[in-house]
Amino acid sequence: MCHRTVVAVQREIEMRGIPTVLITVSPEVSAQMRPPRAMSPRAFRIGNSMGRPGMFDLQKRVLLDALGLLVGPARPGEVIEFDYPEYGE
Amino acid sequence: MTLLSRKCVPFTPLDRELSKCSVALVTAAGVHRTDQEPFHIADELGDLTFRGIGGTDEVSDLMVTHHHYDHSDADQDVNVVFPIEPLRELLREGIIGQVARQHVGYMGYSMQLKLMYEQTAPAIAEFIDRQAKADVVVLTGG
Repeated sequence: MCHRTVVAVQREIEMRGIPTVLITVSPEVSAQMRPPRAMSPRAFRIGNSMGRPGMFDLQKRVLLDALGLLVGPARPGEVIEFDYPEYGE
Repeated sequence: MTLLSRKCVPFTPLDRELSKCSVALVTAAGVHRTDQEPFHIADELGDLTFRGIGGTDEVSDLMVTHHHYDHSDADQDVNVVFPIEPLRELLREGIIGQVARQHVGYMGYSMQLKLMYEQTAPAIAEFIDRQAKADVVVLTGG
């Protein structure tokens, strides 16, 4: 549910002329709402959008990769998946 | 209410360098300051309100109130859903221009979807525009 409503908020912000990017750990649910820009760290659990507690470097990488979508080629409506092996099982 | 079809995706290109942008965070994960009213998890219909979080607020002054996901990891380290400390690091490294003065936490769970879409979402967007004055927004679902 959170991963659905957050796209509604994202779309409203985008319509005000502010570029946005979503980090979602429920890519299928978020994709149904067609986010302007979205990335998903593959296999991260709900509640771990950025990684696990204390994994500062991983959290920063996920954030950097999300911000990277703002300057890369546009793929509106898609959720782009990223792999982070350091997250673990 | 947004009358755009879901097939139509609103899209605003970034028109300046990231290093000149003020970046705000918006999370549906139920993050708020400890001195703010918690979200109403007792209400079966959910909570349609949101909380503004200052750009310089300490993470030790933040907490999570949400009953639709396991937030034990966020209780240990709020950055797992609200990456304010990684964002500050990107500012120190010159990758972004500013950490926005205001950020937003809300509880993404609600059974009142019509109100969520017609009132809460536009109200958060207005807050981000007028109060946070952000150039770029990063959202997390939780």
